[in-house]
Amino acid sequence: MSPQRFRLMVSLVLAVGVGVSATLIGAGFVAALAVGWQGSLVGVTTTASAPTTDFGGLTSRLGILEPLAIAQLGLLTLLATPVVRVAASVVAFASEGDRLYTAITAVVLAILLASIFLLR
Amino acid sequence: MTPQADFGIFAVSVCAGLIGSLAGVGGGILVIPALTFVFGVDIHLAVGASIVSVIATSSGAAAAYVRDRMTDMRIGMFLELATTTGAVTGALLAAVVAPAFLYVLLGVVLLGSAAMHAGRLNEETPPAEPPSRIAAAMKLSSSYPDHRLGREVPYTARRVPLGFALMWIAGVVSGLLGIGSGVLKVLAMDGAMRLPMKVSSATSNFMIGVTAAASAGIYLGRGDVDPQIAAPVALGVLAGALIGARLLNRVSNRAVRLVFLPVLVAVGIETIGRGLGFGL
Repeated sequence: MSPQRFRLMVSLVLAVGVGVSATLIGAGFVAALAVGWQGSLVGVTTTASAPTTDFGGLTSRLGILEPLAIAQLGLLTLLATPVVRVAASVVAFASEGDRLYTAITAVVLAILLASIFLLR
Repeated sequence: MTPQADFGIFAVSVCAGLIGSLAGVGGGILVIPALTFVFGVDIHLAVGASIVSVIATSSGAAAAYVRDRMTDMRIGMFLELATTTGAVTGALLAAVVAPAFLYVLLGVVLLGSAAMHAGRLNEETPPAEPPSRIAAAMKLSSSYPDHRLGREVPYTARRVPLGFALMWIAGVVSGLLGIGSGVLKVLAMDGAMRLPMKVSSATSNFMIGVTAAASAGIYLGRGDVDPQIAAPVALGVLAGALIGARLLNRVSNRAVRLVFLPVLVAVGIETIGRGLGFGL
């Protein structure tokens, strides 16, 4: 892979991550103005008791198009973007044939994943 | 949150994204005090929103910086080795070290660095030098297109071991205190490694998102990320970062230094304040 394509690939990963998360967060925000953060866009009556900081039960809350859940999915996408970018860089350095930086980036990815899953 | 407060938070966040993307810092210095003092947000939720803001600044601007060759991907990844291991060390140390003294120490170091930074204010590009052995081995030399100067500016990383050590300390500090990781990264690259200011800022911008992502899980699990606050912050910061990313290419290195300097002083003062037990 040429350095030019390499940069474009990493840049694209970032742009897609940011675009998807901004769309979801924006959609959740606008929807919340209409039906409230813990309402439902498809008219399901909800008895929300969990705090808005609770990311649990995301799938079922997405099922009833809860604005909070849509925004939470967007925030999760945003938080995952740097991780996906590092993973994409491993692939990109490897296809460029740069063994040194494939190894360095893979180590960074491993430390990053370990700290996400171990530090809590 | 009332719609007025939502709009206010959004507007502050646009500024934070703009300044953060130009200076290579996360914008927490602006977001946290604004949320707590002006909008009465709980400090934990403000810190959670500031983690979101760091990642938004980083990802929002980095797409453009990587494409435009402002970010040095190799220097960034090489130094990430130091910051990520440092962050893990810092998080582990947090249980045994009393941070008050460290806050004061960090604040004093930052204010001292501010004086040195002010002395370099007029330096547009660092003097050209042949790459050192370690810089050549680790491929830490490159060039970036400077639209303001209208030419390609070559650079090489100097004092690599010192820069690497400072980056490790930046990681420890962010893991331990959760503050100042962006300013320390810029200082390590600009001050110690003598990279051009714009490359330092864009590469720091690229790196802070990775550092913040490593600890984002902790804040999510603790219930510190509330979309009612984090959503307008994320949207505002992204918008600001996109504008900042378009600007960096056109302004001079001196202008970037002028944006960075007050941020550095503010973080220094706030850090000392925290150490002495008042402020945030």
